[in-house]
Amino acid sequence: MKVFFRRAALYLFALWSFFPLYWLLNTSFKTSKDALARPPTFIFKPIMKNYIEVIKNNEVWGYFLDSLIVALGTTCFGLLIGVPAAYVLARFKFKGSADFGFWILSTRMTPPIAMLIPFFIMYLKLGILDTHIGLIIAHVGLNLSIIVWLMRGFYEEIPMEIEEASYVDGSSFFQTFYKIAVPLSMPGISAVGIITFLFSWNEFLFALVLGDSVVRTSPVGLYGFVGYQKIYWGQLSASASLLLIPVLFFVFLFQKPLIKGLTLGSFK
Amino acid sequence: MQGCFFMNQFRKERNKFIILMLMPATILLVGLTLFPFIVSLILSFTDYSLLRPGQTKFIFLDNYIELMKTDEFWIALRVTVVFTVLAVFIQVVLGVVFATLLHNENSNVSLLRTLYLLPLAITPIAATFTFRLMFNPSLGVLNYFMKLLGLEPQAWLASPNTAMISLIIVDTWQWTPFILLICLGGLASLPSEPFEAAKVDGASSWQIFTKITVPMLYPFIGLALLFRSIDAFKTFDIIYVLTSGGPGILTRTLNLYAFKHGIEFLSMGYAGSIAIVMLIITIVVAQIFLRKNKLLLPKDTLKG
Repeated sequence: MKVFFRRAALYLFALWSFFPLYWLLNTSFKTSKDALARPPTFIFKPIMKNYIEVIKNNEVWGYFLDSLIVALGTTCFGLLIGVPAAYVLARFKFKGSADFGFWILSTRMTPPIAMLIPFFIMYLKLGILDTHIGLIIAHVGLNLSIIVWLMRGFYEEIPMEIEEASYVDGSSFFQTFYKIAVPLSMPGISAVGIITFLFSWNEFLFALVLGDSVVRTSPVGLYGFVGYQKIYWGQLSASASLLLIPVLFFVFLFQKPLIKGLTLGSFK
Repeated sequence: MQGCFFMNQFRKERNKFIILMLMPATILLVGLTLFPFIVSLILSFTDYSLLRPGQTKFIFLDNYIELMKTDEFWIALRVTVVFTVLAVFIQVVLGVVFATLLHNENSNVSLLRTLYLLPLAITPIAATFTFRLMFNPSLGVLNYFMKLLGLEPQAWLASPNTAMISLIIVDTWQWTPFILLICLGGLASLPSEPFEAAKVDGASSWQIFTKITVPMLYPFIGLALLFRSIDAFKTFDIIYVLTSGGPGILTRTLNLYAFKHGIEFLSMGYAGSIAIVMLIITIVVAQIFLRKNKLLLPKDTLKG
């Protein structure tokens, strides 16, 4: 009985999460007339025209590639510099450590309107406007606070005994960090990695202002299907659906450590 | 003497480790955020406008005084707070409950988790425009369902009664997965003994949820809540695409208000002052929240 109610709730929530997406997929197989039919149609003659157009469109492949480079770069670079900072903030108290942690958090609080123009000027002066590396640096900056604070939370939940034993055995701080703490925090790294990837993959405003002509990520590219006069529903929905495939692939690869009992269980 | 030498050695080692581990993140953040912050702060004390960039004057607090005197600012502040509090509250409840349910489930877990993450994975532009299509009063699928169920069709985004609710629905759809994902990661890294012990003692699922799961998961819930609130407070894209702040100014948040002055009216000084006020509010609320919940400093530290 309990299992029945739990499953009912879980599948109901799945339906809620999936329905708008179902509508998007539905639209991607419709002609432009069917897409805006009144009343909305559930059963119709599906067409592949939208997908064929999108697949033939080299620009869409370009958006995809730019997004992939930027999101993967942001995830790797962000974890590489964020995880060490998180570990130190979780394991040591030093003069000003609370203020330092809060300062990192506060970098996420500034509304984008106040950041965009100074960012643009800075990037223009540095000559990294419209480059992959420029966008990666911006996205790491936007998401570093989340990486550091979430990973700090994960480290605090990991018992310290194993690390302390490692010091007693004569390992250095660095050895203990990458040989013990990092493997132990894999569920956290996995969750934070997925979040960083998705945030960077879907980021619009900075990608628009700091990129746009040479480096054009998918959110900016897809916005091109939204015209002043009309929205190109077929191409918008078909390319958004296709772009889900690589994201799901990435989420699938990265979610393994989220499966319960995989890490801490092995130490007991 | 000997012991003292080793203590010093240890301290040196420790400090070197701390500095090296924090250095890359610090350099990047100082480099990226210090300059934009100083520029906006200075701009907010001027009447800088892109319409007449040559005649900028230093006007100290005039922008802020003007802001405090305008009803539009207070309405925007109220809209922002209502939106943030309601949306984040619903998302936290849903996120924690469904993460726990999924954690206890053993069939099709991978499929369900993937379905739950979809709203976070889809390009927001496409999702938001799909919602606009679904909310459409005459040809949208939502009113189609309302009619099927024998309910009154709604104007959704265009009506003063439902515009805010519609925005909260979309925000909840998009962002609950964020909280769910953090809680799933948290649940996976919690020790399993307390749960097993409670089961042996014959505790009900509800008791386990309220007495063990939520308290143990608390640091994660707190962080998810904090980040979601910071982001919801400056929500822009959903509101801009769906209602543009309307009907009237009923859903115009502070961020949209700043955007209107900065990008449409080109008065960057005034927009800058709105941004600084938003920043101050967020800092104060976050400080209170973190101090109350003791999340600013680690509970325990490493001793060599």
